[in-house]
Amino acid sequence: MEWKWLHMMKLNKINKIYQSGKLTVPVLHDIDLEIKDGEFIAIMGPSGSGKSTLMNIIGFLDPPTSGTYELNEEKINSFHENQLAGLRNKHIGFVFQQFFLLPRQNALKNVEAPLVYADVGKRERVERAQEMLKKVGLGDRATHLPNELSGGQKQRVCIARALVNDPEIILADEPTGALDSKTSEQIMELFVQLNQEGKTVILVTHEEEIAAYADRIIFLRDGKITEDRRHSA
Amino acid sequence: MNILESFKIALSSIWNHKIRSILTMLGIIIGVCAVIIIVAIGTGAQTQLTDELFGDDKNVIELYYEPFPTDDGSEMMWVEPELTADDLAEIQQLPGVKVAMGINHGWGTLFHNEKQIELQIVGVGRDYFYGKNIEMVEGRPFTMQDNDNMNRVVMIDDFTRDKLFKEDEDIIGEIVEISGNPYKLVGVYKSTTPPEYRWGDDGEALMPRTLNGMMFGAAEIQQVQVLAASAETLTETADLAATRLSEIKNLEDGEYTYWDMSEYEEEFASFYKIVTLVIGSIAGISLLVGGIGVMNIMLVSVTERTREIGLRKAIGATRKRILFQFLIEAMTITLLGGLIGIGIAMLVTIIVSQFLPFTAVVSPIVVMIGASFSALIGIVFGILPANKASKLSPIDALRHE
Repeated sequence: MEWKWLHMMKLNKINKIYQSGKLTVPVLHDIDLEIKDGEFIAIMGPSGSGKSTLMNIIGFLDPPTSGTYELNEEKINSFHENQLAGLRNKHIGFVFQQFFLLPRQNALKNVEAPLVYADVGKRERVERAQEMLKKVGLGDRATHLPNELSGGQKQRVCIARALVNDPEIILADEPTGALDSKTSEQIMELFVQLNQEGKTVILVTHEEEIAAYADRIIFLRDGKITEDRRHSA
Repeated sequence: MNILESFKIALSSIWNHKIRSILTMLGIIIGVCAVIIIVAIGTGAQTQLTDELFGDDKNVIELYYEPFPTDDGSEMMWVEPELTADDLAEIQQLPGVKVAMGINHGWGTLFHNEKQIELQIVGVGRDYFYGKNIEMVEGRPFTMQDNDNMNRVVMIDDFTRDKLFKEDEDIIGEIVEISGNPYKLVGVYKSTTPPEYRWGDDGEALMPRTLNGMMFGAAEIQQVQVLAASAETLTETADLAATRLSEIKNLEDGEYTYWDMSEYEEEFASFYKIVTLVIGSIAGISLLVGGIGVMNIMLVSVTERTREIGLRKAIGATRKRILFQFLIEAMTITLLGGLIGIGIAMLVTIIVSQFLPFTAVVSPIVVMIGASFSALIGIVFGILPANKASKLSPIDALRHE
């Protein structure tokens, strides 16, 4: 499945309701959102406001309960699971607060993982993964296991993994949540650099200082967008 | 799909849980091991039995006279019909008969070099050399003339030669004394009794049947053996020959018959079948329990690795890839267990063979079946856990604590 990436993601009246037993928990309510190529967006809000859920919907990880999600003016609601997996693989790079590195695989192997699912050959995988590790400043840590790396280094490996298949969008859920302020700063500078290189960066955070790096801040409260503010940088 | 990559991941995951993996494999190891050992011993025993019953002469069967039972069950005086060379010639004519052999028996003592040996003296015709596989070591076998002229010639087996004569002694053409009578020694043949079946220290000598009859006072042919064209038609041929022989001799009080060795074989086969069934069911239960163990540990593994599965899905793994990864992993565990089982079985077979009167054999086919079957168990019992893993939603999996 080849997908030509254009420059538009459009969410129309997106609702998300979680069902646990008899309890229905509405998480997102009538979200309208347009994201253009190359934007640097921070999604802010108190915990439980639905910001992570919104990010997961944007990243094709979680299907909305209702509403339409248009990608290149095509509704993806009807996409098959495998197509969504392909979209995640080629066009989205995820960065997680808890890193989610494979514990028994070294840094290089971790970075290689998305390329395995993209059916890239072994040699090219190693080459590209090595290059990405260099890019995030961990060229000399390729053979280290995750437990031999510091928090900041783990997050760099995670970012290298997100970048390795050259996606258009980087989605980061509280990427600095588990890091000290100095390391956070370095990681954020990396995101700024990636954005300048043309990647669309969307990050979820509840910290003002982190959100300040973005050009556009979307505030969420109780599953609704309360404010959509653009920096005049 | 990248099979090799999945296989590597599976191996490293097994390696990371060594004790757990070994314990999981135990059922498979025991099951495969038991099956292979019983098949090896069974095959060995069967080969042994066939050898013992038939020796090299798988197509040879003996005909013998049996009187009919009397009406009141009392023992009757009976006289065995006297067979002649003409009767033998009649049997030779029958379809399916390759060679009809007339054999007479006698005993004698061979003296030489101040040593002596008891000999079973077999009186044979030229037919004997066609029917049996007589391998000459020295000298020559008898000729037609030897038989027709009742030449006083004798052949001894190599067992007798080794017992009585020196190794470098040139004995062909020598005159030897058997039970006080001189004979010309014309040849030495390889004994048809394999060393492991020999008991006692008796040797064997061959003598022209005509001469043997004269020496032991029996002109008739004592024993008839038939070499059938093939082992499959052996019973059929024997039946035909026995009936014909009874016919020729106009028998009223008895008939010619034969030992049907296939009965012994069948008896053994049914015994072996029972043993196989018993051990087979134990092995089957062991494999089943082993398979369930694999399923159980795979379910645990899926739960433990829920986050890993979520991550893999987030970075682009499809349901099929996850399914495949866990299937390969289950299969790798059972295949490894199977291979270990095969290895142990081979060792046990070698050791056990030392204590058995025969050699148990592990055939390559059995090894292949064992290996593929254990892999199959992994696939069958891996389906449920692998399916469970593949169906996890990435979000739920990533949120899993």
